[in-house]
Amino acid sequence: MKNLFKPESIKIFLGLLTFFLIIKLLWFIVQVTWLATSDIDQAEDQSSKSLYYRVKLTPNNIAAPKKVVQKTTKKIVGSIKEIKLLAIYNASDMAVVTIEYRSKSKVLGSGDKINGFTLEGAGNNFAMFSKDDKNYKVLLSKNTKNVLNKSSIKSVSTVSAKVKGEKVLGEVTNEGSAKIIDRSLLEHYANNMDDIYKNIGITEIKDKKGLKGFKINFVRKDSPFSKLGIRRNDVIKSINGQEITSYNAAFGVYKNIKNVDNLSLVIMRGKEEMELEYEIN
Amino acid sequence: MQMVKKSALIFLMLWFAILLFMPKAELYYTIEESLAKQDIKLNEKSIEEGIFSFTLKDVTVYVKGIALANIEELDFFTLLFYSSLELNNLKVDEALQTKVPAITKKASFTHSILLPFSISIDANGSFGAIDGKVNIMNKDLRIDLIEVGDISMIQPLLTKDEKGWFYEKSF
Repeated sequence: MKNLFKPESIKIFLGLLTFFLIIKLLWFIVQVTWLATSDIDQAEDQSSKSLYYRVKLTPNNIAAPKKVVQKTTKKIVGSIKEIKLLAIYNASDMAVVTIEYRSKSKVLGSGDKINGFTLEGAGNNFAMFSKDDKNYKVLLSKNTKNVLNKSSIKSVSTVSAKVKGEKVLGEVTNEGSAKIIDRSLLEHYANNMDDIYKNIGITEIKDKKGLKGFKINFVRKDSPFSKLGIRRNDVIKSINGQEITSYNAAFGVYKNIKNVDNLSLVIMRGKEEMELEYEIN
Repeated sequence: MQMVKKSALIFLMLWFAILLFMPKAELYYTIEESLAKQDIKLNEKSIEEGIFSFTLKDVTVYVKGIALANIEELDFFTLLFYSSLELNNLKVDEALQTKVPAITKKASFTHSILLPFSISIDANGSFGAIDGKVNIMNKDLRIDLIEVGDISMIQPLLTKDEKGWFYEKSF
């Protein structure tokens, strides 16, 4: 009988097959012994969505506590209205404003008095005065705003930024019972993450189940964070209704911080749970 | 001569069989496992295995649960004596764009047996174009900017000499 294949060829073919099988078997042993057999994927974090949204029921952009202040302003006939705000120089450590009072322009620093009103601080476009335990907000004069924005405010901001490097403009101010965070301050920290850690130390608290919250290790004195009322050893549980139980949740809050109008922190101070509320102006 | 031919053939078959039967997906899962220990996770839409290559599509990079970057395609190619890792369209999260360049169009890392202790880096993107080398033996890295784009966010990390901007680091 004639052979279909040369015995030599069959021998080579079988040798090759055995060789490949041995390699496959060796890889299989490696796979079973040392290699991972399943994909590790990050589960989508559902907790990053806010549990509730704060809705402003006031018809305009003025937040509730400020509205009270404005009502009070109306009651004091003319007195605060005599002060016209012309320019603002606002550094993190002090505020200086130029005002027009009875047709004369004057420069005031934090704590200076005029017509019985004490300058408490200033924001981006307003100055805060106090009299008889009440606060009065004076907005930057619209007539001078354009000119002063370019000549006074912006030039001062640029110079101070250049001279003082990372100095932060904008402040946390007290307006009655409400604390107001200047939006420029918030934007500064949203764009300069490193500056946050120069002023506040935060570490995670973990247990066997995972992340439980973030603990404040230190708050630098005189920093905007110290004015927020948070202290060392406080544990941040939630921000704007969002439970901070994952890094993603914390990062989600950080990413959206520029778009919020109110800020609400739930913290644990010792065994007591506290809610701190702020307005962003 | 016959012996040399036979040895070369066996060597060639061995090389081919190793690459052909290499459990590429499992090797990737093992790398993922060690990255996960450092809180880095990769979520990919699909995994494609070739004889010499391994491709991941639409990869999201998570660090501590935060999606920090997205890579359109990540391609690993190996001939054992020459390997390359190519990243296409790497986009970092908006929040990080003040820290790192927003877009890397293409980045490739190559290793050749001719220079066993060196890894070459080439990349281009919003920052311009770079060319660099990692020396595993000396544990140092040097990246030269051969084309300068938007480097404002990384400029504090860079040094300038007569050739231009460069980044140097030891590890």
